[in-house]
Amino acid sequence: MSQLARVEAEDRGILCVIRLHGEVDISNDKEVLAAIEMAVPHSALRVVVDLTHTSYLDSAGLALLLRLAERLQARRQQMRIVAPLGSPVRTVLELTGLPRVIPLEGRLEDAVRESEGEVRNDGT
Amino acid sequence: MGAGERTPLKTHPDSLARTIKSDPLNYVAKTLIVAVAYYVAARLGLRVALIERNVTPLWPPTGIALVAFLVFGRALWPGVALAAFAVNLPINTNGFAAAATAGGNTLAPLVAAGLLTSVGFRREIDRLRDAVHIVFLGALLSMLISASVGASTLVFSGALSAHEFPAAWAVWWTGDAMGVLVVAPFLLSLFQRPWSGSLRERTEGIALLLLVAVVSLLVMNSDRGLMFLVIPFLGWTAWRLQQRGAAPAALIAVGIASWAAAHGLGPFRQGTLFEKMVTLQSFDATVAFSSLFLAALVTERIRAREALERATDQLEVRVTRRTAELSAANELLKREIVERHETDRRLRQREGQLAEAQQAAQVGSWEWLIPENRVSWSDEMFRIHGLLPQEFPLTFEKAVEQVAEDDVARIRANVKAALDRGGGQQLPDIEYRIIRPDGAERVVRGKAKLSVGANGEPLRMIGTVQDVTESKMAEREHRIAETLQRSLLPDRLPEIPGVLLTARYVPATSDMEVGGDWYDVVQLPDGRVGLAIGDVAGHGLRAAATMGQMRMALRVCALEERSPNRVVTRLRHLVRGQLDAEFATLVYLVFDPDSGAVRFANAGHPPPLVVRGTEGASYLEGGLGPPLGAVGFPDNYLDVTSHLAAGSTLFLFTDGLVERRGATIRDGLDRLKTLVTASDEDLEATCDHLLFAMVGSDVSDDVALLALRPVLLSSQPLLLRLPAEPYVLASFRQTLRRWLREIGASPQIANDILIACGEACANVIQHAYGAKDGLLEADLVVFDGTVEVTVRDRGTWRPSGGRHAGYGERLIRGLMDSVDVKSGSGGTVVRMRRRLQAGSQDEPARAR
Repeated sequence: MSQLARVEAEDRGILCVIRLHGEVDISNDKEVLAAIEMAVPHSALRVVVDLTHTSYLDSAGLALLLRLAERLQARRQQMRIVAPLGSPVRTVLELTGLPRVIPLEGRLEDAVRESEGEVRNDGT
Repeated sequence: MGAGERTPLKTHPDSLARTIKSDPLNYVAKTLIVAVAYYVAARLGLRVALIERNVTPLWPPTGIALVAFLVFGRALWPGVALAAFAVNLPINTNGFAAAATAGGNTLAPLVAAGLLTSVGFRREIDRLRDAVHIVFLGALLSMLISASVGASTLVFSGALSAHEFPAAWAVWWTGDAMGVLVVAPFLLSLFQRPWSGSLRERTEGIALLLLVAVVSLLVMNSDRGLMFLVIPFLGWTAWRLQQRGAAPAALIAVGIASWAAAHGLGPFRQGTLFEKMVTLQSFDATVAFSSLFLAALVTERIRAREALERATDQLEVRVTRRTAELSAANELLKREIVERHETDRRLRQREGQLAEAQQAAQVGSWEWLIPENRVSWSDEMFRIHGLLPQEFPLTFEKAVEQVAEDDVARIRANVKAALDRGGGQQLPDIEYRIIRPDGAERVVRGKAKLSVGANGEPLRMIGTVQDVTESKMAEREHRIAETLQRSLLPDRLPEIPGVLLTARYVPATSDMEVGGDWYDVVQLPDGRVGLAIGDVAGHGLRAAATMGQMRMALRVCALEERSPNRVVTRLRHLVRGQLDAEFATLVYLVFDPDSGAVRFANAGHPPPLVVRGTEGASYLEGGLGPPLGAVGFPDNYLDVTSHLAAGSTLFLFTDGLVERRGATIRDGLDRLKTLVTASDEDLEATCDHLLFAMVGSDVSDDVALLALRPVLLSSQPLLLRLPAEPYVLASFRQTLRRWLREIGASPQIANDILIACGEACANVIQHAYGAKDGLLEADLVVFDGTVEVTVRDRGTWRPSGGRHAGYGERLIRGLMDSVDVKSGSGGTVVRMRRRLQAGSQDEPARAR
């Protein structure tokens, strides 16, 4: 595992919360991607990637998120991103128009609620 | 007369003859003197005439004539003849008779002088033969002429009758003879060397002559016939004074006797004329003979004795000299023997010392006489080869028999090269192995020198062989240990922006062995820096190896554990469980350049020293735990925290820096603290100064010193030169964050610049150099409230591919106020600007 970033996964049944700590750049993007893929259980239908504690994320990180979203899509898993307003990561995400591809929330609670709503809508 | 005076009286007849020719006046004068002397003496003699008027018992003129001829030469004969004629003319019957008599009177002394000269007569009459010669040749024989001529003339002239001839002849003869015998010695004695006798001898001489005269007068006036009494006094005189006294004494005695006879005194009072004649003549003869012979005899014996004495003296001198010579020679010989012994002894001593020295130094010497192929070894050579001294005679082949096989070839090549080069020379030193008979291998170092003869032919080779096995082994181990230690210590410290780091390692000078001091600097992934310094007990290879393992273990633990005390604890477990080190000390300290936070744990090591500007120096003494190898202590290491502001300095060191013989470690620590407070601004200079002041040039123990000083980045432009590799990005951002904070950028703007820079740098790393190594250059400067960032590479720009390409450029342009990209064959330069104050152009990209 990279020293730069740390991945934490919280299994909430059909929802999985991935918390990314630290920094992501070209030195660790592939490792981080693999780590997140491994951390996400197949049972999860919704995945929330929480970037609240991510201190640095550049275009490599953006690419990572896009790729992750594609892979999760392939696994029929819906992905959302959390990045607080005004955070360094948020600036990067908005500048590159990522929210148009992957739903972005300012807070984790909002993302969870949105995901659970989708699940409820889908599941019932 | 002037000329006559210049002529010495004792001149040799021959030289006189020359004088006659050259100086006739002188000759005439001499002739006249002789003539006058002859005449006067004749007149005196005639006074005592006994027969007629011309036959006297004592005729002094013959003596005068003889002496004149002997002393001045016979050339004076005319003077004698003239005087004789003058004397005889009045007493002879006619002129013819006078001339004949004068002729006989002249001829007789002439003949006498001739005879005496021919037999080598000496005028000193100091030999018996001289006395015999003058008596028989000069007087008795020669005077036969004058007596015969004179007596015959008397008869022929009719002055005498024929029967009176014998008596007249006899008287004439004895008279002339006595004239010679009495007068000649006396005159001759006058012509001898001036008498050099002492006053006492002169007195004695005069007294003796007076005594003779007195005795003579007494006996001549006595009627009792006591004439013989004169003899003892004559003998005494002759014995005491030799001819010098005897001649005048005889003359005195004879003169007085003749006077007495002429006047008919004493013994001559009675008897006939003939009886008186006989008496007088016999007295005269006795006196003359005795004095002459006695004097000659005594002289001769004195001379003989003197010669003997001289010979004895000379002999003595020669013996003394010879003895001295012999003794000197003997002394020389003795000294030479002693010296030879001494030289021999010294030579033996030197040989002994050489052998001892060779044994002590394990140096053997050898000599190879090349033409004879004879090799001689010193005793130590045999010992080095594991043999008994002088075990066998040697040749070159035998000498290299024990050399290891592959080394023999090198020796042969060495020797051959020298012989080929020719001339006297020093061969290159060679190191080779020999195998002793017991199989032991030794390493030796050989030195050799070749000597050649007059025509350059090789004569001999001499050399030494030193057993260097032990020193080679020690040297090897030392070299390995040193190499190991050097390779185990960091060859260079990481360059961390905003942190000055320097280290010193000084091995002990006195100890050949390598110590176990070590240090390390680890760059941690989160931008912090780990500093370790430690000391493994012991020296040499083992300590060096242990130290290396510890260093590696520390690196592993440092990357995994955030807490220094955890790192130290894990190392302690490792040391106790895995490493065979009995004792090791360690300080592990983590510094966060971003915050200046310091955190450390100490395992029995000297405390870190911190110098904080105006606050002065202080040791970080807290958190001291047991050394790593110590048994029986719990793992009670603590993390101690502190803070280092920019410009402060932290020193980590080993005890070699503060330990000194005769002083406690406490003293050393105090001293270091004092020194460091007054130290230089420059960190490198400070370290050098500390080392010099604390340990000087005589380093008794190894010293390791590690110094760290955080500095403000914002005081100058940030110029970074980094390998174009992904791993540099994290620490790059760390530095950048700190710099941006220090220049007063808001977190928002700082983050924008950070991301833009990160993108530009990632671009260089990913695309500029391909698979090759390259350099990433990033310069950040502030001017007019604007940050200008320049990112440069020396490679070729490749457009980024892939579906997500283009995000980077969009980010850069979105985050920065202006972006300028210039790409060429020399590389690509990206120049970006961003104002520090958010103004009208606030977040321009987001406005898009």
